[in-house]
Amino acid sequence: MSEVLAIRDLFLRFRGYSGVSEVLHGISLDIRAGERVALVGESGSGKSVTARIVLGLLQELPSAQVEGGLFFEGEDLNGLSRRQWQALRGTSISMIFQDPTSSLNPVFTIGTQFAEVLRRRDPKLSREAADERASTLLQSVSIHDHARVLGAYPFQLSGGMNQRVVIAMALANHPSLLIADEPGTALDVTVQAQTLKLMHELVEQSGTAVFFISHNLGVVREFADRVFVIYRGRIVEQGPTPAIFENPGHAYTRALMAAVPRITGGGLPDLNDSEAAFLEPMVVHEGGDA
Amino acid sequence: MTPLLSLRHVSKTFGTGPRAVHAVRDVSFDVTQGECLAVVGESGSGKTTLANMILGVFGQSSGEIWFDGKGLPTRRTLEHRSAIQLVQQNPLSSLNPKRSVGASIRLGLDVFGIGTRSDRWRLVENSLEEVGLPGDFRRRPPAALSGGQCQRVAIARALACQSRLVILDEPTSALDVLVQARVLRLLEDLRRVKGLSYVFITHDLSVVRNVADRVAVFRAGELVECAQTRAIFEDPQMDYTRQLIGAVPVIADEELKLRESLSGGLPA
Repeated sequence: MSEVLAIRDLFLRFRGYSGVSEVLHGISLDIRAGERVALVGESGSGKSVTARIVLGLLQELPSAQVEGGLFFEGEDLNGLSRRQWQALRGTSISMIFQDPTSSLNPVFTIGTQFAEVLRRRDPKLSREAADERASTLLQSVSIHDHARVLGAYPFQLSGGMNQRVVIAMALANHPSLLIADEPGTALDVTVQAQTLKLMHELVEQSGTAVFFISHNLGVVREFADRVFVIYRGRIVEQGPTPAIFENPGHAYTRALMAAVPRITGGGLPDLNDSEAAFLEPMVVHEGGDA
Repeated sequence: MTPLLSLRHVSKTFGTGPRAVHAVRDVSFDVTQGECLAVVGESGSGKTTLANMILGVFGQSSGEIWFDGKGLPTRRTLEHRSAIQLVQQNPLSSLNPKRSVGASIRLGLDVFGIGTRSDRWRLVENSLEEVGLPGDFRRRPPAALSGGQCQRVAIARALACQSRLVILDEPTSALDVLVQARVLRLLEDLRRVKGLSYVFITHDLSVVRNVADRVAVFRAGELVECAQTRAIFEDPQMDYTRQLIGAVPVIADEELKLRESLSGGLPA
């Protein structure tokens, strides 16, 4: 199977007033066509910066130094000009952010924003045609009163509704890669479950590969085919989802799993603070390798 | 035994006429000494309004709130205010960024007149040590602390005022899972040692299962179900409770089994 995204030995440093801080220490990962791959880790471990590098957003920052191989559908992304990056975003690669209400523009209606997204791929699209396409797309995310939603501003809709609008927008131009950065975290647990189920069905239908970023192991288990566990800018364990959850090999992964409270009870976990073991070499499960 | 906190037919309505919002409707429950009552529900279900009424931020529209056998007036005395404390969700925004964390903790002691003036810095250091932070952290600004450390400071601040009831408003939802486990453990230990009572507001049911004695499920301002934690999870009486438990993302096989056995399905 062909790889949609391949990251090879990616390093990231930020230059600040207090010197250089190293954020990513050579991470490698790959996503095949139609696959759902999750990157799991704590805050500050380098999940979101990885996503922003894939979108070419950090490369524009003068204080960030990005090094390493970045390939999208076989094409080397490092050589792209600003204009070429711009053409890629929202068409072949799209992204869903954590907080749907703040990722939509509050001063434009959903309809206007939808038309803007659709015109990325088809610049001459009329507003009527855009509205019509937007309506079908909204129906695919189970929004049935699409006329009201298209005329509404983001703050007039609920968080779950906004996130569904964002998902519909992200998939509107048939991207081959969708980056989802904690898509359910800002939502209620029932809404999160609905949203993820919906996203699961949609990417399955369209064959879109998903790069799923999360700190919630339960969500990852339900959504992803393969999992990469990241700790302080290093991948510590990778493999197919069942292998990781049934047989976690790395001390950090085991600590993460032990720390999650269970709905079957059993009290609070006892944590041993052996953080030295978290820096052990990477564990690769069979089938986790490209 | 008289319950420490007791709510009787408490309602809160914001606004009047046709645009009135009934945030909390006719809620009654008790919290006994040393108990942890979890209040769960989705956003907009009235959890925070309830907390604000117990704290006295605003009064209830109808009904009565009793604390330690006496009715609580809307205008609270200093004694009431120090006995009922709050720990908020986001520790970085609940601490004043321009004060050292020690000064934030000391403010409560000064206002409530706890200890002698010369003794208060020592009390501040003691309360920091109680939550597992070194006493000399009192000189640091909140910005120099991690999220987990800030949350510990917020807990220390609530405990320094000799509180008896602590309202925990999503105390761990802004924290990472490893940090969350440590803070929950700390809260549990403090409750046992000091005989505190908690009203634990959260939407994370897997946390609730492991820390709460009883659970109150809220939906649209109404108390849907209130029972022992075990009963809520193993034999929920209401469909809504089933749906809530059914939507929790889980990692272990036995959890999946429990969830499937409830088979509430997702709300439409």
